[in-house]
Amino acid sequence: MALFEARGLHLRFGDRVVLEDISLSFEAGSLSGIMGPNGAGKTTCFNVLTGRYRPERGRVLFDGQDITGLAPHRIARLGIARSFQMMNLFDDFSVFENVAVALPATRRRVADPVGRAYADPAVAAAAMAVLARVGLADMADQPAKSLPYGARRALEIAVALAAGPKLLFLDEPTAGLGSDGRARLARLIRSLKGQLTIVVIEHDMDFLFGLADEIAVIHWGQVIARGTPAALKANPWVMASKLGSAA
Amino acid sequence: MTGAPGSAPLLVLDGVAKLYRRGLLARETAFRLDVDRAFAGRQIVGVLGPNGAGKTTLFEMIAGSNSPSRGQVRIAGQDIHRVRYRERDRLAIHYHQSYQVRRFRRTRPAFLMDRAASPYPLVHLFDEPQFNTQDGYIGFMLDFFRRLRDEDRLVFVCLHPTAPFQLDILAEICDRFLFVAGGAVAGFDRLADALADPAVRRYLGALADRGP
Repeated sequence: MALFEARGLHLRFGDRVVLEDISLSFEAGSLSGIMGPNGAGKTTCFNVLTGRYRPERGRVLFDGQDITGLAPHRIARLGIARSFQMMNLFDDFSVFENVAVALPATRRRVADPVGRAYADPAVAAAAMAVLARVGLADMADQPAKSLPYGARRALEIAVALAAGPKLLFLDEPTAGLGSDGRARLARLIRSLKGQLTIVVIEHDMDFLFGLADEIAVIHWGQVIARGTPAALKANPWVMASKLGSAA
Repeated sequence: MTGAPGSAPLLVLDGVAKLYRRGLLARETAFRLDVDRAFAGRQIVGVLGPNGAGKTTLFEMIAGSNSPSRGQVRIAGQDIHRVRYRERDRLAIHYHQSYQVRRFRRTRPAFLMDRAASPYPLVHLFDEPQFNTQDGYIGFMLDFFRRLRDEDRLVFVCLHPTAPFQLDILAEICDRFLFVAGGAVAGFDRLADALADPAVRRYLGALADRGP
């Protein structure tokens, strides 16, 4: 059974249909992609999947539970983490602190969320373990604002991982990254594969083709194609495009 | 009549005319479009024509966002201009490039209007979809048009071709063609027939000879 499933999502803003009958499902442990041209409705779709918008019709099921219309923080607590196109980090905190505050163990200390939490060796070890997973252990003491752009992306993923999610959504993770940064990010995401279920929303076809097990293509607020990268790449128009000739 | 013999057409443009007039005292017609045609479902129709000829006006009248001056637009037997505004996209849906276009001038309260009889759009109108040969999305877009057709829907794809590959696309996916120009809508069963038409040739210029 799929870990996450969306059935017949329909959403409109005023007179406009922005999502028309979108159905998607993600198997546990898989790495899935959602791609589409700019303005195709990817982020809107993402916002429905992660609970920021409530669909007018349709259902979102996670781990056997109907989560349609649940508040985003409740969805997060069930084990779904998401990153944002605009990065949300505490710039004045260190890399370590950014992850430490996102750990459930820290979050439970309501009265003292940051202060002495790090003194707890278990918290420190958990934060360092998360940083090691994204390759930032060496930079633990640096302030977040001093990180290069690509490392900020990795830290953002670390913050999402700190909550111990079963499912991680990444929204346009390559935004603002050059080709080196993209390659490093692809390696990082690939290294997480199998540890949890990952869904990457991307405009960059090339990036997803090298990464995902299965991809859904969204345009006009609808799923216009889906399949494995190999199947999608076999499309004659993809082969004839810049991407196909480069691959 | 382009419907299969004996089957009720999905879309009927029944004596439809749209007139725009200008001038306060000496009224003159600035724009006029007449169309009287019917279409079966399960087909893809390519729509060509110069800018300002009325391609988008035609799509708006089918989608119910622009009222005809006379005549009736019926989809699966329902007059779309009598259907509740919010439910018209259950009959026909109009996309301009990436976005759905809908702007209604509401003239009647919804409770006095009909409900749409379909849960999903039956007619899909793609108004100048952006085909970029560089990114490869074209292939998925064309497959999507075909999938809609295979699900018995009626698909219109409006293009203003500026490059030979756009004619190739039309030839590849369309079952028939409309040419909107000079206030009228001409129909062709094959792109080659359209490309042989003097008015279409004038419109396409050099492209007419480079077509498939």
